[in-house]
Amino acid sequence: MDIIPDVIKSLFNLLIFPGFAFLLFCGWAFDWLDRKIIARFQGRVGPPWYQPVADFIKLLGKEDVMPTGSQTFVALLLPVISLAAVLTAGLYVPIAGYSALSFEGDFIVVLFLLGIPTLAYFLAGWVSVGVYSILGGNRSLLQYFSYEVPFLLALSGPAIMGGSWQIGRIVSVQNTSGWFLFFQPLGFVLALIGLIGKLKRNPLDIPKAKSEILAGPLTEFTGRKLALWHMTINMQTVVGIFLLVNLFLGNAQALHDIFGVLMFTVQVLIILSLLSTASSLFARLRIDQLAGFGWKILVPLSLVQLTFIILMGV
Amino acid sequence: MMTKLKIPIGPHHPLLKEPISFLLTVEGERVLESSMRLGYVHRGIERLCQERTYVQAVHLIERICGICSHVHSTAYSHAVETLLGLEVPLRTHYIRALLCELERIHSHLLWLGVLAKNIGLDTVFMYTWRDREIVLDIMEELSGGRVSHTINIIGGVKIDLDQKMMDMISEKLEELAPKLTIALGLFENEPTVRLRTQGIGVITKEVARRHCVVGPIARASGVDIDVRRDVPRPPYNNLEFNVITHTDGDVWARTLVRIMETRESHRLIQQILSQLPPGDISVKAKRRVSPGEVVSRFEAPRGELFYYIRSDGSDQPARIKIRTPTLPALSTLPEQLRDVNLADAPVILSGVDLCIACADR
Amino acid sequence: MELNWLQDILTKIECVGPFDIRRLPEDETWVVIPFDKVFDFVKFIMEDDSTWHLSTITGQDTGSQIELLYHFWLGHGLTICARLAYENPQIKSITALIPGAAFYEREAAEMLGISFTDLKDESVLLLSDAWVKGWPLRKEKKEKHDD
Repeated sequence: MDIIPDVIKSLFNLLIFPGFAFLLFCGWAFDWLDRKIIARFQGRVGPPWYQPVADFIKLLGKEDVMPTGSQTFVALLLPVISLAAVLTAGLYVPIAGYSALSFEGDFIVVLFLLGIPTLAYFLAGWVSVGVYSILGGNRSLLQYFSYEVPFLLALSGPAIMGGSWQIGRIVSVQNTSGWFLFFQPLGFVLALIGLIGKLKRNPLDIPKAKSEILAGPLTEFTGRKLALWHMTINMQTVVGIFLLVNLFLGNAQALHDIFGVLMFTVQVLIILSLLSTASSLFARLRIDQLAGFGWKILVPLSLVQLTFIILMGV
Repeated sequence: MMTKLKIPIGPHHPLLKEPISFLLTVEGERVLESSMRLGYVHRGIERLCQERTYVQAVHLIERICGICSHVHSTAYSHAVETLLGLEVPLRTHYIRALLCELERIHSHLLWLGVLAKNIGLDTVFMYTWRDREIVLDIMEELSGGRVSHTINIIGGVKIDLDQKMMDMISEKLEELAPKLTIALGLFENEPTVRLRTQGIGVITKEVARRHCVVGPIARASGVDIDVRRDVPRPPYNNLEFNVITHTDGDVWARTLVRIMETRESHRLIQQILSQLPPGDISVKAKRRVSPGEVVSRFEAPRGELFYYIRSDGSDQPARIKIRTPTLPALSTLPEQLRDVNLADAPVILSGVDLCIACADR
Repeated sequence: MELNWLQDILTKIECVGPFDIRRLPEDETWVVIPFDKVFDFVKFIMEDDSTWHLSTITGQDTGSQIELLYHFWLGHGLTICARLAYENPQIKSITALIPGAAFYEREAAEMLGISFTDLKDESVLLLSDAWVKGWPLRKEKKEKHDD
């Protein structure tokens, strides 16, 4: 009966590592680190380590109401679907060299799955009847069109250089050739900017600009639904950072296990610090400024980077 | 063809510190027009003052606004003293001006933080409000209250400064000066800030004059009015200061004007402290005021504060009229909020430096 | 303030003397003008002095009549006083000349019951929508405090 060890291994992957429990723990840890770094930038102390857990538990205890006219069933389904998409993507992204599943082309699947939460975010604004939600939803789609193209182009750079659409293979190529960061620094910066846009962090948190449209699409969400959304956003952060580390700084497989894990952790923390620093330093852009910036500056730069890579490989 | 949405800003909104209601008609991301409703914090102070004595009214007048409470009570006390024909000691004028300038610094720092928060730059918000604590500490040492100072009485002031206090003020303000330089540098140079504030909410000089706008907003549009210079009164007639104007008339210009005014206030305080004349701090005032009328103008942090008091010979004022500087600025808002980006609406509203408690009285 | 200048303008708008001109404290000149000549007077001031500034418009109930005071700043203070009757006080609005006067006129209208002709937006400024009766700054019926 060799199905049983397989089933146990699959359950372990799905639920513990690198599945639900691990991503949940990482999501909370990253959220806390992010808030702490931003607080230190602002001259504050920052929240204690258990703050994200406490917020989650508090949200679960809140009453779950939505305005009349909104479709509550769809509103509950959307964060669940987003969570499922992000968790699935997490299974394919290698963590210090270990990935639960992997096949040629899983890079494309991961990118596709990471795009589902954005569309669900827009729909969340649509189904909750409310002026701020609809506006936030519109903005999130506009933002999606502005950052997604340079993001995908920038991420294709490592794939082309690695000669494969399998993340594991892209990482192992870097064992011999060195980190792709050194070959395509421009691509790395563009990927970071794209990640900021995807995660809707300052300066690209336009869909949920607090001073303009309250909380954007999630304005009318409370209780469990909002807790699920926060969980999704946290896990999306984790998976996005892991993806970036694998594509641009990946060589953990070559090193001894513990050292590899430590190296991976350090790289992840560095990228997280970069994201938090960017959050503290800039003012929020306007959506039309982002569209101009995205199409007039980011896309040409990513094309330049791609051309350079292709020419180098020839 | 997108549908027109009506977006309410207020009375409760993260953007607003005080309740006021705007209804923006929005198509897509474009604000077509707006309407405004004041009066959420209208307490009827003018009417209430008519039923109280002059001395009791000081208590009410101080509570019109939290940010500019001292200048309100100063303008009122000065007006009543003029009606009584009292000549307050020179030292009183200096102490009142000292607190007026401290309040100006405090108000501008507060406003700077609020503007930064509304454009998404939380870091600057935290920094300016932390620096504002320095000024609040000074005011607490002087008067015992961070927000409500209550130092004015009819006839003078209640507090006095000794050398130790003056040294403390100078020292604390020296801490503040380099931080203002950093803030000014940031607003002049940081590209995202300029993207969000330059060219937004432009008020031309003509519009500013037709709407009778006062204060830093008028000065940023090129209108050269400043009550401290225009109405020569001690101690300002002995002090040297510049009236800062700018020509652009947008939110960025107003920011620069306010930051530089904060520096001017710092210079003024240093001069006040060095020129403080000795003497009494108050004179005795009669309760009954002879019939007459008086007009008193002062420069609040937001502009010209206007008081008109008419007395009919009793110990209760017959009419007190207060015109606060935010009111004409609010009348320019429907024009500023026409055909702008929705994301510019918070910047425009912050640029006007709303003090609704003042405007509603 | 040059009294000659003031008297010149008053003659130009066809006011008949003797003019009631007073000096108030803090450099303020006070002049009484018939209420139907206020609009012309303001027009002349604006044409004559390019640095005019309207501080505010005060309405008050003096016990015998309703007074509207227009406070100007022309480098020195000038207050124009227009007297109106108790029943149906009406005066022409100056918002055609000075749009910023709208708020002041609306406040005077709701507090004292003055009606301004040509005022485009006559809605209530400060009082609540539920306010139905009475003008808060009028002195009549002072005993009714439970309104």
